[in-house]
Amino acid sequence: MFRPRSVRVSAWPRLTRRGGSLMIVGVLLLAVSLWFDLRDILLLAFVGIAMPIAAAVFVAARGPRLSVTRVFAPPVVAAGAWTRVSIVVKNRGRRTFDGAHWRDTVPDGLMGPPEAILPAIGPYEGVLPSGDDTVRLEYRLRMPRRGVYSIGPLRIGVADPFGLARIDREAGAGHEVVVTPRITPLDAALGSAASIDGVVHGLRRRTHPNSDELIAREYRYGDPLRRVNWAATARRGELMVREEEQRGDPEARILLDTTLSGRPPGTLRRDDDEGAHFGFELGIEVAASIGMHLLERGFRVRCTQVADPERGVIPGAAHGGAYRMPGGDRMLLEDLARLDRPGRAAGHEAEPAPSDAHPRAREARSPGFAVLVDPDESDARALVALRPTFEPAVAFATDGVSRLVLDLLEDADWRVVRVRRPAEIGEAWSGIATTPRERATHAP
Amino acid sequence: MRPDLMPLSRAQRLALTAASFLFLVIATMALGPLIAGSGWWWLCAFIAAGTLFSGFGLRSIRTPPSLVPVLELVVLLLMLTLLFGGGTSIALVVPTAGTFETFGELMAGAQRTIEQQSVPAVPVPPLTFALAVGTGLLAVVVDILVQTARMPALAAAPALVPVLIPGFIIEAGADVPTLVLTAAAYLLLLRVDVRVRRRARLAAGEEGDQAATVIAPKRVPIVSTFGASLGLAAVGLLAASVLAASTPSVSTSLLLGSPSQGTLFARGVSPFIDLGRDLRRPEPLPAFHYFARDGDRPYFTLLTLDRFEGEVWAPTERAVDGDNTVDQMPRPDGLSSAVETSEHPIDVVVDEVRTTWLPVPYPAARIEGLKGSWFWDDGSLTVRSVDTNTGGQSYQVTRLEVEPTPQQLRAADREFDDELASFLDLPDEMPAIIGETAAAITASAASPYDAAVAIQAYLRGSEFDYSTEAPVEDGYDGGGFDVIATFLETKAGYCVHFASTMAVLARESGIPSRISIGYTQGSPTDERVDGVLRIEVDTHDLHAWPELYFEGVGWVPFEPTPGRGTVPGYSRPGAGEEGAPPLASTPATGPGSTGRPDIDPDTGLAGPVVDPVATATQLWIRTGVVALVVAVLLLVPAAFRLSRRLARVRRIRHGERPADAAWDELAATAVDLGVGGSGGETPREFAARLTGREAFGDAAARAAVVRLRDAVERERYGPDGAGTPSAAASASLVDDLATARAALLADAVGAERARAILMPPSLVDGVRRVLGGRIARGA
Repeated sequence: MFRPRSVRVSAWPRLTRRGGSLMIVGVLLLAVSLWFDLRDILLLAFVGIAMPIAAAVFVAARGPRLSVTRVFAPPVVAAGAWTRVSIVVKNRGRRTFDGAHWRDTVPDGLMGPPEAILPAIGPYEGVLPSGDDTVRLEYRLRMPRRGVYSIGPLRIGVADPFGLARIDREAGAGHEVVVTPRITPLDAALGSAASIDGVVHGLRRRTHPNSDELIAREYRYGDPLRRVNWAATARRGELMVREEEQRGDPEARILLDTTLSGRPPGTLRRDDDEGAHFGFELGIEVAASIGMHLLERGFRVRCTQVADPERGVIPGAAHGGAYRMPGGDRMLLEDLARLDRPGRAAGHEAEPAPSDAHPRAREARSPGFAVLVDPDESDARALVALRPTFEPAVAFATDGVSRLVLDLLEDADWRVVRVRRPAEIGEAWSGIATTPRERATHAP
Repeated sequence: MRPDLMPLSRAQRLALTAASFLFLVIATMALGPLIAGSGWWWLCAFIAAGTLFSGFGLRSIRTPPSLVPVLELVVLLLMLTLLFGGGTSIALVVPTAGTFETFGELMAGAQRTIEQQSVPAVPVPPLTFALAVGTGLLAVVVDILVQTARMPALAAAPALVPVLIPGFIIEAGADVPTLVLTAAAYLLLLRVDVRVRRRARLAAGEEGDQAATVIAPKRVPIVSTFGASLGLAAVGLLAASVLAASTPSVSTSLLLGSPSQGTLFARGVSPFIDLGRDLRRPEPLPAFHYFARDGDRPYFTLLTLDRFEGEVWAPTERAVDGDNTVDQMPRPDGLSSAVETSEHPIDVVVDEVRTTWLPVPYPAARIEGLKGSWFWDDGSLTVRSVDTNTGGQSYQVTRLEVEPTPQQLRAADREFDDELASFLDLPDEMPAIIGETAAAITASAASPYDAAVAIQAYLRGSEFDYSTEAPVEDGYDGGGFDVIATFLETKAGYCVHFASTMAVLARESGIPSRISIGYTQGSPTDERVDGVLRIEVDTHDLHAWPELYFEGVGWVPFEPTPGRGTVPGYSRPGAGEEGAPPLASTPATGPGSTGRPDIDPDTGLAGPVVDPVATATQLWIRTGVVALVVAVLLLVPAAFRLSRRLARVRRIRHGERPADAAWDELAATAVDLGVGGSGGETPREFAARLTGREAFGDAAARAAVVRLRDAVERERYGPDGAGTPSAAASASLVDDLATARAALLADAVGAERARAILMPPSLVDGVRRVLGGRIARGA
């Protein structure tokens, strides 16, 4: 990370306001002195003209040699949090470096520190370093939005000793800081044990067909009746259920709508101008929250695109978008952070995801969560095709999802939950568990 | 124009003060070629130091910035009282009413001395007073610019004042070394400011959450930056010197026509300025009166014309020599001890005449009782003042009466010193009649004296008539050679013609000559004081007469004008042969006699070639330039205002907080029109008040204001980057702003609108902000 790098000339030197006005005064004096033939004033006029030019040449000719390192603490930040940027500027030249201002280059939308004075830096100390050739700069940076930001290079404005001209140079390179989506903590009890209980059970039994090491425990309210261990009940005289540990490797699936293909094509550009797409960011937050929740519960989480269920959310995602603990939470968040703004839905219409819906046994079904922002009909059909492999199958739909898609999904027995605001994520998640019956009643 | 108003430490303030002091006193040095001696410079340095360092002291005890200049002016006043107040002050420094009277007199004297003195000027008290006041004021301005406004680069403007002055007065201008030093001092001030500014900003740190922590190295050698500054300054100054030296001089004549006529600023000081004004009185006014105890009736000389400037007689301009004080005047040139002399005191009381030249008989031995600084000129022994005039003067002049005999005059040598050769100069081309006449008159003269007597006799002869009208009617008024030639033909004119003709003929005959301008002996009155007859001299006694030089005797007056003044006894034909004593001076003309010149001899002698058309053109140019300067000055606030508006529009277009800029502009327009309201108004209140006005009855204007309001509220109170600018948005902002402004302007009456454009009050806020006063923010 520590690479000495000389400062590049990035722009022409320009005169400061002081230098500019001195030059104008010089030209005016020149005119006056020529007009009235005042030889003495001519000298002052030329001082006014020559000094700024000499200063500009001076700043252009004296390129400093600086090495810049930049460290973020923490390097991965949740959206809305602060990160501390520490910059170490080391003078590699043999002259004292003075008269400079610094300002870190930050992308649009971030508020970097205002331009400030860079203290004088002593000459490079090859032997016996005492630290006089180094300046440390630190500032806090608030990261309001998800994404990957390149901070830097450091802009060094060098002025001449009289403040007549300055030149802005760039020192060092940019460094990336990852801003992960915000996570909403989800209610644990509702999410794991009850609604997806059978799947876990099935998995366990399938992977360990001969194991009968079931530890019975007392029945608690909410346990399904089918888990009652009659033998144990008989022995103990009270209602006992099978208690199993999630030793297995349960998988859950998250399908994220990354293409927003339902949007009318004409609106694409407009949305790009506006910065982040609200619904898209909301969708990512939902996906991140669910993914984190599931990973913490020990699930293996595959996070793929709705448009192409076999592809990870970002091109380079590991294992086709599969994440597992330990470490999977960070990777998932980073991948989601790197997810670009909705791109063109190019080539998407070609084939609606070869639905290799190899109907698996009910036991093999895994929970599936679709996060929909603005899918089109083909996306919906892909989801419908995938429905048999998921149990339960829940679709979180933001405001942008069209009625048509919702109807298609509900017809295919997708559970549709509306999420309008980030604050509703927790509530929506709880809603999965509490209302299956109601939903079933008014389902067509 | 937002100055950095970082708090400075005392050491930093002191460094800035010292640098500005150095800059100011070095700039003052540029006046060196204009003023003799160096005492005045030390005085200026004292004043500058007192003013600037008192400002430093006041700031270090945390005086409010707006008060500091006022208190500095007070300190300046105390110092001036100490130096110039004399006995009128209390405890040496506290001024009284009398002190201010003294200051007023000194100021008036300074104005005169600036008009009258030529370079190098004698540093008389009024002049040093003016220098002290000027330096003090410049110091206050420099202090405001450097310390209060924190724009030291602008300190060049006040320092340019002393630097520019020499260039307009003497040809060479200020000395080059001084100029280089001044530029170096300026760069030093800039360097100190850059350092101070950096230190102050580092020390103050940044504010807010975004502020960065900077951990600087513990120690950094200062020498390397010192070398860079020195090298850069040397390169810049050297380049400037080389450029200045290699730039060819563009002659002003190419640009402005003839330099002598066309220059707007007179170089040098003309002794005619005051004299001409005084001599041009149409009414006969009493000039002065005198009491001659010994019954003397001398001519009184004001000034002497001794050379030709082109075709016209003119005085030699000489700098006043500060050693030539009038209490001891030298023996006149060429007077040998063989000639009988006697001293006669004459008491002179000046009535109405106001000139810088003192009416003094030639030659005088000493003058006593004068107020102000008076000095005599070498050679002519005319007496002039550098800081006052003849008004209210009453003095005793001791006249040296020279009584040469015709024999002594006749015996005068024809050989002269070299320094007198200039009194024989004649232009190369002259009308032939002059030479012919001179030859004809002096053909039989055995000596220069005889020639002079012959010329005087010829001019006083019956052929010549005294007439003030004839020259004007025939169009040969003045003293040029063509005029003299015409005069010799028509044989009618007045004293100017007679005097200049005799002087030219004398030079033609080899006698050094010059013309004196002054008063004849005047007319006696009945009044006697202590038994001495009072003699009145009035403006009708103005006269011009030739003086001729004879070796061993010196300058001897002649009287070629018929019917005027008195003819000296030695100059009468045959005076020597008869051996008769010189005739007592008798007035040839009484008070009511005719034939007095009521035409200004100054005009006749000095100004005949001025072309009326050229004068008119010059007047037009002058008026035009003055009008232009006034117009430019009047438009300066408007220009500032316009530039601010353009800057805001640019901000809108570039998207730097565009709505804020638009709103500021609207608020500033309202302030300009006097409907700005109090500070601390929210945009919503302001918009509500604005739309309540009549002009906003129009729906479009009202909508524009509302849109602007919404935009600014979104930008100010919304989340950061909420109003991400787009080209269309900023264009509509500009349109809305234009609509709203137009409506506001339409609402105002014409006078208000003119005031808003020419004297925009919204600029005052900016100035107030600089001076650290209370900030009045428009909405």
